[in-house]
Amino acid sequence: MGEIILDVRNQRTAFATGRGMLQAVDGVSFTLERGKTLGVVGESGSGKSVLSRSIMRLLPGTSMTGPGSQILLNGKDLTAMTENQLRRMRGPEMAIVFQDPMTALNPTLSIGKQIMEVLMFHLKMSKRDARAKAVDLLKAVGLPQPDVRVDQYPHQLSGGMRQRVAIAIAIACEPDLLIADEPTTALDVTVQAEILDLLQRMVRERNMAMILITHDMGVVAGRCDDVAVMYAGKIVEKAPVRSLFSETRMPYTAALLSSIPRVTDPPHRKLDAIEGRPPDLINPPPGCPFAPRCRHAEDACNRAVPELTGTADHQWACIKPLNTEAAA
Amino acid sequence: MNAPTPNIDSFLSIDNLTVEYPLSRRAKVHAVTEFTAHVKRGETLGLVGESGCGKSSAARAVMQLPRPTSGSVRLDGQELTTLRGAALQHARRKFQMIFQDPIASLNPRQTIRDIVAAPLEIAGIGTKEEQTAKVAEMLDLVGINPDQAMERRPHEFSGGQCQRISIARALILSPELLVCDEAVSALDVSVQAQVLNLLEKLKGELGLTMLFISHDLAVVKHVSDRVAVMYLGKLCELADAETIYRKPVHPYTRTLLAAVPEPDPDALRDRVELIPGELPSPVNPPSGCRFRTRCPFATARCTDEVPAIREIAPGHTVACHHPLMEHSAA
Ligand SMILES: Nc1ncnc2c1ncn2[C@@H]1O[C@H](COP(=O)(O)OP(=O)(O)O)[C@@H](O)[C@H]1O
Ligand code: SF4
Ligand code: SF4
Ligand SMILES: [Mg+2]
Repeated sequence: MGEIILDVRNQRTAFATGRGMLQAVDGVSFTLERGKTLGVVGESGSGKSVLSRSIMRLLPGTSMTGPGSQILLNGKDLTAMTENQLRRMRGPEMAIVFQDPMTALNPTLSIGKQIMEVLMFHLKMSKRDARAKAVDLLKAVGLPQPDVRVDQYPHQLSGGMRQRVAIAIAIACEPDLLIADEPTTALDVTVQAEILDLLQRMVRERNMAMILITHDMGVVAGRCDDVAVMYAGKIVEKAPVRSLFSETRMPYTAALLSSIPRVTDPPHRKLDAIEGRPPDLINPPPGCPFAPRCRHAEDACNRAVPELTGTADHQWACIKPLNTEAAA
Repeated sequence: MNAPTPNIDSFLSIDNLTVEYPLSRRAKVHAVTEFTAHVKRGETLGLVGESGCGKSSAARAVMQLPRPTSGSVRLDGQELTTLRGAALQHARRKFQMIFQDPIASLNPRQTIRDIVAAPLEIAGIGTKEEQTAKVAEMLDLVGINPDQAMERRPHEFSGGQCQRISIARALILSPELLVCDEAVSALDVSVQAQVLNLLEKLKGELGLTMLFISHDLAVVKHVSDRVAVMYLGKLCELADAETIYRKPVHPYTRTLLAAVPEPDPDALRDRVELIPGELPSPVNPPSGCRFRTRCPFATARCTDEVPAIREIAPGHTVACHHPLMEHSAA
């Protein structure tokens, strides 16, 4: 086994809302090794972004973290750190790239200054070294004419180029963990492919660990080692990417896979839609959160929330997993 | 060189459609330039391309929202671009549109009953009771329980339900043409599948002709009989859905298809590498072929000469000097 960079233990994140407590992330555990990419896939509201912000400790004041939750990054528990300690972790040990690159960019500063600030703060570089390094980073992320662009402002760049700059900032201090939360959702397909290539290359070259969050099964299929499927705040299946697609155990994963339109389908194929919608996270049903929409549900599914079980590699949260007899 | 076959039997004829937005006295955005496509009755034409390629401008020009800068749009033989006032209002009953953001496109202060009845109200059709009965029928058709929904407001419904309500509103005047602009793009896949299946069902039952605009090539393939690919305001390639996806000959169609992330870990990813750089501005589009600054196959001719639209097989047209005929895509 490789070196474990991230160890998430029973992460629970809730928000106080007008209607009651909303359990956005509900008992998520996993580990991630150096050099590996974990895909986290799920529909909107399934808790992907709250999970990524929980790891980065970038949560709003209305949030609450469960008493038994721990997030160990390089062995250090982030849930026990002060904001000051966390600030020193963000950059050199962990970094995040968001869907909207402007979340990370300051519109009033040149992109070069923004990268330099990070380098000067964390790595204590001189101004001159930081500028040279900024140009190098812009070059590494594929920004054309980096020595000219370094003095430009975010508004002078296209969406795809801004995302490249956001990636440059994220990797500037060589973090061990990179989280990319829907990094290409707002981009066109050809640009998306280029940005995903870039992230993959950065992870490989710098030997980081990456969490790639997306709603798109197509994005995880080609880019991840392992995939975790989230539903109603929980990981409901986790497996090496090939097993997830070919030996699907959780009915929700299977339903999601067959509802996707594919370019390889014949025109006008009727899609297998999942009827209904995800449960209310304020008043979740007592049993399996997918039960109200599940074709295989039976009475027992409504009694208790199924635990994540299976092998060390492949886990599912279902009492009647699919294809189990056929499995090797 | 073959000229495209004239389409006498088409229900919707779009010819040399051009949409320009003036920026100043001298500059303008060339959003759509001489776009031509013909759609038969009961057929769905998919329109794909990346953001800013002019898909939505073309759709809105077909809807006369606003009228195109030049070119012709004929629906069932009637020229729409010259219609004015009451005549245009009357013709509008035949063509309706649904938009991307299902929640924002519904007035939050109105009840579902009033939202769906609005086209009847504007056209002055029926008494209040007749309108309500028609609204109930339409809601039922799109899978929304009328008794539960009529008196509620949009915020009480999910995105997928709001899109169903928009569809009910668009269909209440029994239009013959339905224009969908990114109609399922904001929805989660499981809900997107529900709405796509609904659109397909309605198209069959009501004999609708559709113009379906999306940036998502897989979604477009699912609903379209024929597909048009646009880049920077120009038509690149148009063919039946099977052909576009199996044997694309325009370099841009190839690029676009190869970039689609397939939900299959074993999918072959033979990407066409674009020349790095930015999408040119539609204010100053490149001379000749507009794709030439990114096209790996470009030659001097591509700079000098705008590629004409040629028919390379029956019903398959392409605008490229060097179409990729020899190799065929997987
Ligand atoms: N600041 C917040 N206050 C209250 N609820 C929130 C907040 N942020 C997210 N949520 C809720 O948490 C749930 C999970 O959201 P999110 O992690 O954003 O899902 P995803 O990223 O998978 O779309 C949703 O029900 C969402 O509305
Ligand atoms: S536990 Fe039951 S309801 Fe839940 S996914 Fe499995 S079969 Fe379906
Ligand atoms: S005309 Fe030339 S530049 Fe345009 S797509 Fe064809 S080969 Fe490429
Ligand atoms: Mg999110």
